[in-house]
Amino acid sequence: MNLEDELRSALRRRDPPPDFTARVLKSVAPRSARRPVRPWVGWLGALAASLLLAAGDLGYRHYQGERAKAEVLQAIHIAASKLNVAQKKVQMISHRSNS
Amino acid sequence: MPGLAPAKAAELDFASLVRRHQAMVYSIAWHILRDRAVAEELAQDVFLSLHQHLADLESPEHVQFWLRRVASNRALDVARRRQRRPMLSLESVPEPAAMSQAGDPLLGAALRKLVAALPPKPRAIVVLRYQEDLDPAEIARVLDIPVGTVKSQLQRALALLRGKLARSMGEIRI
Repeated sequence: MNLEDELRSALRRRDPPPDFTARVLKSVAPRSARRPVRPWVGWLGALAASLLLAAGDLGYRHYQGERAKAEVLQAIHIAASKLNVAQKKVQMISHRSNS
Repeated sequence: MPGLAPAKAAELDFASLVRRHQAMVYSIAWHILRDRAVAEELAQDVFLSLHQHLADLESPEHVQFWLRRVASNRALDVARRRQRRPMLSLESVPEPAAMSQAGDPLLGAALRKLVAALPPKPRAIVVLRYQEDLDPAEIARVLDIPVGTVKSQLQRALALLRGKLARSMGEIRI
């Protein structure tokens, strides 16, 4: 027996499992198939965000305007009812002095 | 590859490289580490690195040299890390029970165990010498060590293996 021949025989190459090649190719596939981000996707996103912000701002301004209008109407209503009370008092005093 | 997009052609080239060299890479890892799962994982990592470095390699010979070098050195690193928590020493390996003709599967299995019990560097040298049939100068280039170191470590490893086998066989001519 020759030790070196035995070592050549014992250490001969062996194949990996049958699915080895497929696994290697699968693991590198996502790297090679990764697509670059298209520039128009970014622009579209920025435009959509700007539109949303503008719409939100418009809605808030409209809400503020409606609220201010309601407050003015309420103030006018209060002022009118106070004027009514005052007018009635003036009428009562003038009626007493005439009689 | 005419008629194919460059990316697809490169992918096909890479696939053929994997098929051509997978037995070499896997066997280097398996014979140095004696652990199928770790050898598979290591071989897969080596091919992933190849995929990243493919553009830097200039010829089929360069690819083969690069794969041998990376597989051997990574397997050596793993073997050294494992050596810090020793699993098997040459003395602890049982001597082959029955020796017979060359190519005996039992003798082959016993020899693989004896090789696996060598310290990592001589183990890698023996694997590159007898699995890959490299001469000492080629082994020195793959492992980036002096040729003299390869020769002396190879002689010492063979003497250890001969001694272990002779103890069990007596009359063996090795």
